[in-house]
Amino acid sequence: MEIASDRIFQNFEKSLEEFKESIELTKQEKAAKLASQVDILSQSRNGLVYLLQKIGELDRAGIFNNTVWSEPDKLIPLLVKGTLKVGHPTSSFEILSELRLLAFATGIEKSDKIAQKDAQSFLEEVMVHNLEFAHQDVSEETRLAMPVRELKKAFNLFGFIVSEIDLQGVYEKLAEEIRLICAQRPIMTRKARELIRLVNERFDTTGDSETDRSVRLYINAIYAPSEGARNNASLKDYEHFLSESSVATLEREARAMGDHMNATGLVSGYHSVLLKKLVADYEDLVPVCLHLNDRGVAEWEKFHGLISTLINETVSPDNCQCIYGLARMLGKSLFSRRPVRVGLENLRKVKIHSMVEKRISKSLINKDADVTVLQYLIGGTIKVLGQHLGVGQGNNPTCQSARGISMWSQHAPAMLIDMIITVAAQNDLVMRFDNQDLTSNQLGKGLLDNLDHNLDVVSVVLVPHLDKIYNEMMRRSSFRGEDPHKWVNPAMYGQWVHVGFASCYDYPSNSIVDYAGFVKIFYAAFHPDFNGQHQMVYPNPVGIFLTTNKGVMVGLHAISLLRVDKNKKGEMRAYFLNPNNEGRQDWGQGIKPTVFGNGEKPGESSLPFYQFVARVYAFHYSALDVKSWLSLVPQEEISKVEPLAKESWGKSYVWNQQTKLW
Amino acid sequence: MGWSLPVIESMQKLGKPYVVVSFPDFAPYAAEHNIPFVPYQLDEWSDTSNSLDLVEKLKPYNADVAVPLYEETVEWAGALNSIYRNDPRVLNRAFLFRNKAIMKRKALIGGLRVGLFEEVYSKDGVKAFMRRLNEANLQLEGEEDSWVHIKPFASAGTVGHRLMKSMAQIDEECEDGDFPCLAESHLPGREFSCEAFIHKGKIRFLNITEYVKLGYSNFIPEGNYLETKRELIHKQVQKMVDIFGIEFGMVHPEWFLTENDELNFGETACRIPGGHILELCSKSYEFDALAAFVVSHDPNATDEELDAIFPPKGFKPEYYHGNVMIYPHKRQFSKLEIPEELNNDPYFIEHSLVPPYEGQKISGDRGGFGNHFGTINFKGEDPDRMTELLKHYQKVDFYV
Repeated sequence: MEIASDRIFQNFEKSLEEFKESIELTKQEKAAKLASQVDILSQSRNGLVYLLQKIGELDRAGIFNNTVWSEPDKLIPLLVKGTLKVGHPTSSFEILSELRLLAFATGIEKSDKIAQKDAQSFLEEVMVHNLEFAHQDVSEETRLAMPVRELKKAFNLFGFIVSEIDLQGVYEKLAEEIRLICAQRPIMTRKARELIRLVNERFDTTGDSETDRSVRLYINAIYAPSEGARNNASLKDYEHFLSESSVATLEREARAMGDHMNATGLVSGYHSVLLKKLVADYEDLVPVCLHLNDRGVAEWEKFHGLISTLINETVSPDNCQCIYGLARMLGKSLFSRRPVRVGLENLRKVKIHSMVEKRISKSLINKDADVTVLQYLIGGTIKVLGQHLGVGQGNNPTCQSARGISMWSQHAPAMLIDMIITVAAQNDLVMRFDNQDLTSNQLGKGLLDNLDHNLDVVSVVLVPHLDKIYNEMMRRSSFRGEDPHKWVNPAMYGQWVHVGFASCYDYPSNSIVDYAGFVKIFYAAFHPDFNGQHQMVYPNPVGIFLTTNKGVMVGLHAISLLRVDKNKKGEMRAYFLNPNNEGRQDWGQGIKPTVFGNGEKPGESSLPFYQFVARVYAFHYSALDVKSWLSLVPQEEISKVEPLAKESWGKSYVWNQQTKLW
Repeated sequence: MGWSLPVIESMQKLGKPYVVVSFPDFAPYAAEHNIPFVPYQLDEWSDTSNSLDLVEKLKPYNADVAVPLYEETVEWAGALNSIYRNDPRVLNRAFLFRNKAIMKRKALIGGLRVGLFEEVYSKDGVKAFMRRLNEANLQLEGEEDSWVHIKPFASAGTVGHRLMKSMAQIDEECEDGDFPCLAESHLPGREFSCEAFIHKGKIRFLNITEYVKLGYSNFIPEGNYLETKRELIHKQVQKMVDIFGIEFGMVHPEWFLTENDELNFGETACRIPGGHILELCSKSYEFDALAAFVVSHDPNATDEELDAIFPPKGFKPEYYHGNVMIYPHKRQFSKLEIPEELNNDPYFIEHSLVPPYEGQKISGDRGGFGNHFGTINFKGEDPDRMTELLKHYQKVDFYV
C-alpha cells in the first residue's frame, strides 16, 4: 500500500487552517479543495489513519454543513455503495462520513446525535453491503462503474474499517460468505483465506452454534486440518512428528487432511509436508490423503510414477493448493489421456521466458524461497486442469480469456497445456483468424490497460496474449453489419463452438429485432422439453446484458452456458460459468443467480431457465438441428421472458417487432 | 462595487467597515448572511440610477471611498470617488481605463511604447488599417499580411479580443456587431502582467505574474528571467502610473518584453485580475492581497495601516505558487478523471475540479476564456519545473 508523505499532510493542514478561518460564504469552495486532498489521503492507509485523527476537527469546522452528510443519525447504510460509485468529490465526502462514524463507534469522538452503538451498527451494516470492497474483489458491475483510483479508495476504506471496528455484529454474515465462496471452489483462494483469517483472529469461534461449527471447519482446514497439525505449530515440528509416527497415525493424519480438503476445497501447508512423506514412504496412503474416488485410485495406481514425480517437484507449503487440483485431476481420469501426460512431461522441461517469470512472481505473495517459478506454473496448470470451473478473471476486463481457459481445460486439456508451454517459453502466442496468423506480440493493445496480477498462475501467463488476440479478432470483424462474436467465438475457442449464431441486437439499426424469434431459437436449441430431450455437449459462449439490482443496463458480459437441467424441485434451470469470480449476483427483477442449493456443481451459477434467457443477447447454436423444433416452443414461454427483457435492459434500446429470417 | 465573496471575506477578517453595492439579485443572500448591502441597478444610467443618487444611498454607511471589483464597475467607482475626493478628473481617469483607444493615446503621449492603433468603425476600416500596416512593413507581393488585433473598447482582459492574420480572415470573421472597436498592430515580445498596488501615486508593492499560457496558467512570483528585469519593470510601471496620474488603488498592466529589454505597453486595468492571480500572490507573499487591494484605494489609510497589510519591504517568497485553469477539451464528456501522476506530484496541492453531469455538452464559443471547470494549484521551489507542470496539465484532458 502506498504511504502518504509529510508534504501531503502539510498541504492538508494548511488547507484545513484556511477552511477553519474562512467565513461561512467561502466555506464551500474551500471544502472542495480540502476534498481533493482527502481524495489523495484516502489512497493510503496512513492517510486514512491521519484523517481519522482529524475527523472530529473537520466535523466541528463544518465540513459536512450543507451537504447530505450533515446529520450522522440520518444516514442510510444501503446508500453508501452508490455514493462511492459516483466518484470524487462525492466519494471523498462519503469516506469522511464513514470515518466520522468510525470515530463515534470506537469512542475517539463523541456525538450528541448518534450513540456509540448506533454508529457501530451502522458501520456493520455498511460492511455487510460492501464486502466486495473489503475483499478487494468486486463484481463486474462495480468494476465497470468505478475507475481504478476510486476502487483503491474503497478498498482502503473498508480494509481500514475492518481493522478498526468490532465485527461481532457481522459474524454470521462473514461465516455465510466464507461458506458460499468456498462452495464455488475457486482456484484463487486468497479471498477465502483472508476472510477465514479475519474471522479466526477477531471472533470467538469455540461455541456450539451451527455458525461456530461451520466456521471452525474452514479455520481448521487452513490452520489445523489434523491432530498432528494442531499439536505442531511449525511445519518443521510437524515433519519431525511425522518421521516418528506409526502407520496408524499417518493414516489418521491422511484421512483428516483429505476430509478437510474435500469438504472445503482448501489445502493447508501441512498437507504438502504429509503428502510428500507419504509419496516417499507410504504410497498406499496417498489415495486417502488426496481423498480420491474409485477412478482417482485407479489413476494413481496406474500412473503413480509420473504423479509422484509431479508431487515431489511441485508441491510446497505455499504451493499447497495444487494438491486439491491434483486430486480433482485424478478424479476426472485426466492422466489416462496420453496427450495430457506428455504435455505435463514437456511442461516440466520448459525454460520460462524472463517476462513471463516476472508476471508469475508478481502474482505470488508469500512465494516459497526454494520453489521455482516453473514449479508454481506446474502447480497452477494442475489447478486449472483439476478445477476448470474455478477459473476467474480477477479485477480484469478479460471475461472472454477466462472463459476460454475454462473451456479448454475441460475439453482440450492437452491443447491448453501446449498453449501454456508455448507462452511460458516464448511470451508470445499465434492464433489463426480468417486465414491469417495473429501473433500477439505484433498486435496492439487489448482490453487490458494494466493486468491486475491477483490471478491464478496460468491466467497470469496466458491472459495478456489471449486478450490481445481476442481484441484483434474483434477489430477485424467489426463493421460487418453483425455482432463480431459470430466469427470471433468459434475462431477463438475452437470447433466446440457452433457456427450458427443468433443475436437479438441488430447492429445497423441499434435496435432489438424480432425478440420473440430470438427467444424461440434459444428454447429450441437448449431447453430439453422443446428440443427432443437433447442435452448440451459443450459449453456455449453466451453474451449477456449485465444489469444492476434495479434491472438497469450496465454493459455486456461474457459467460459460458454449461448445461440445462432440472433441479430436485423439478425446476428447469440454466447452469453457467460466470468468469467473474463471484457467481452470486443480483440482476434485478428477482433474477439472482445462485451458486449453491439448486443442484450447482462447484463453480457453477444457476438461474431458472426463463430468467436466464431474459438476460441473453447472443449465443451460438446448430442452425441445422434447431429447425425442426422451432414450432414446438410454446408462446407462454416467450411471454414469460419478453417482459423481463423489455422492462430492464430493453429500456436502453428501440424494439423492432418485425420478424426476421434467422 | 460588485459582488465577490472572497473580497467580503477579506473585509470581514480585516475588520474595516464596508458596504457592498451590487445588483438587487444578491440582496436576499446578503440579508441572510448579515452582509451590509446596497442594491443598485448598475447596468442602468438614468434619473433614478446615477452616481449622485448612489452617493445619497451610501450616506448612511459613511462611505468615503469606492472600490471597483469588476471591469463593469470601474466608471461607477470613478464617479463616486470623484465626488468623495472632490476631483472631477478621477472620473475621467476611470473612463480612460474603460476605453482602450483613449488609454493607448494617453500612453503614447506620455512616452510609453505602444503599437500602431486606430479606432475602426467597419470591416473596411480594419482592412484599411491592415493595408497601411502592410505598407509600413514594406510588404512585397505575395507576402503575408501584417497581423492586426481587434478588441472592444471596454471589455475585460481577453473578452472579444481577436487576431486577424489576413484580409480574407477579416472578410470571413468580422461582423457588424464588432464595431466600433480598437484595431492594433501586433506587439512583439514576451507577455506578462503585473499588479502594482498604488498609494499616493507611488508603487507600494509590485507583483509580477509569469504567464505560462495566457488564460490558462500563471505563477507567482515571476520566474528567473523576469526576476532579473524587476527593476526595469518597476521603473516602467511607475512611469505608467505617473503618466496616467493614478493616485490610489491597483493597476494591472500587461507588457511585452522584447529581447532588447524594451517594454511594450499592452493595456492596463484597474480592477481585480482574473485567473486567481491575487490568490496566488497572497500565498507566495504571505499577505491578504484582496484586503491590500481594497485598502490601497483609501486616501485616508495611514502608512502604519499599509505596512501592517503589505509584506515587508524586500520580502522574498519562499515558494512559487501556480495554477492552471482546466477547460474540457471535448465537446461532450461524462467523467472527471484525475491522473495518478498528478496526485503523486510533489508540487501538487489541491484542485477544485467539479465532475460533469451525465453527458454534459459545452457550446463551441466562449467569450474571453469562458468559464473554467476548476483550478489546479501547485507549489514548489523551482520555477522551471512549475512551468513544465503547468504546460503539461493544460494539455491533459480531465474530462472524458
